[in-house]
Amino acid sequence: MSTPTAYLLYAVFALGGVGLYFLLPRGRDTRTGAGAIFGLGALAALLLVLAARSVAGSAQAASFYLFSALAIGAATRVITHRKPVYSAIYFVAVVVSVAALLVLQRAEFLAVALIIIYAGAILVTYLFVIMLAQQSGEPSYDVRAREPLLAVVAGFLLMATVAVRGSEIPDAPAPAPRKLAYLTGSGADRDAVRSPGEASPGARGAAPASNLRQGAPGAEVEESNTLALGAAVMTRYVVVVELAAVLLLISMIGAIGLSRKRVPAEGPRADHAPLGQVGKEVAPY
Amino acid sequence: MSDITPYIILGAVLFAIGVVGFLSRRNLIVMFLATEVMFQGVVVNAVAFARLHQNMDGQAFALFLLVIAAVEAGLALGMVVLLYRRRGTLDAEAWATMSG
Repeated sequence: MSTPTAYLLYAVFALGGVGLYFLLPRGRDTRTGAGAIFGLGALAALLLVLAARSVAGSAQAASFYLFSALAIGAATRVITHRKPVYSAIYFVAVVVSVAALLVLQRAEFLAVALIIIYAGAILVTYLFVIMLAQQSGEPSYDVRAREPLLAVVAGFLLMATVAVRGSEIPDAPAPAPRKLAYLTGSGADRDAVRSPGEASPGARGAAPASNLRQGAPGAEVEESNTLALGAAVMTRYVVVVELAAVLLLISMIGAIGLSRKRVPAEGPRADHAPLGQVGKEVAPY
Repeated sequence: MSDITPYIILGAVLFAIGVVGFLSRRNLIVMFLATEVMFQGVVVNAVAFARLHQNMDGQAFALFLLVIAAVEAGLALGMVVLLYRRRGTLDAEAWATMSG
């Protein structure tokens, strides 16, 4: 990326940092209006910079700008809202926007998995814990952030480094036809996959997909993202799948071990303790 | 400048917002929600790199990232419940003595 654009990006990030600083809860000093103005200005400037540098001006680009603006705005509300329940709800908006962006990048399976796992499972767990543990009213730790200025400076440094270095990525070299067919399923490349001489030693992942297609001769089978991802995960990354299973088991045991407690089955304390105090008087293991 | 540059920048922005939230909020639950925002940024980046290299590696990484996120959420929320039971508050500063 050319140097002027890099400086432009730094300026946009600095503007966003100022907005974030104003938006973070700081007791009575919180300036939501100023924060919103700075933040929205930074967001619009970021999208303008991206739009000016991007070659694509299609409908896809329009959806990218819409959903990335949604994602950034909702993420800002996640970390600035004073009530954790609303933070969780805004996080659902982040997940849905990111899923839409994944669809734009032809990762349909991941998009659906993201919504089911994040918005369906993880978020419900968060909401349960909020209901279990959140105190009523606005406790002081939700009203006052801890060192908002230092946090914003740290975030600015990180973002500037990653984004500006990351935007120097060159265009990809022309990929091999097989891999292109794998991802996009365009017509000519699909023919290349279907040809019998294609089976090379390095093309382990392609074998199940072409077998499936040969099962329906003449039918125009779409090369699906789910098929390709499943072939990659079940061939090259099958050991990682096993490791993930072990990791999930360990975490399940760990979570049970962390949060268990000895509850008295009977006795005067359990019966006469006021509501909400029962769990607190019980000593954890 | 490549096709995926907007996605890389978006991923960096989401990650940085998560970092700011994790560093500055004091509510344990919101701190872990901020880590989930960071995960979203990483997912966007991984899928963008999968498109850059025209293969499935990045998407496979993103899939395993979902596993890690589920593990992290389960353990972190178990810990939050445990800490809340001990001190009766969600304030991370209540455990400031741990910093020595």
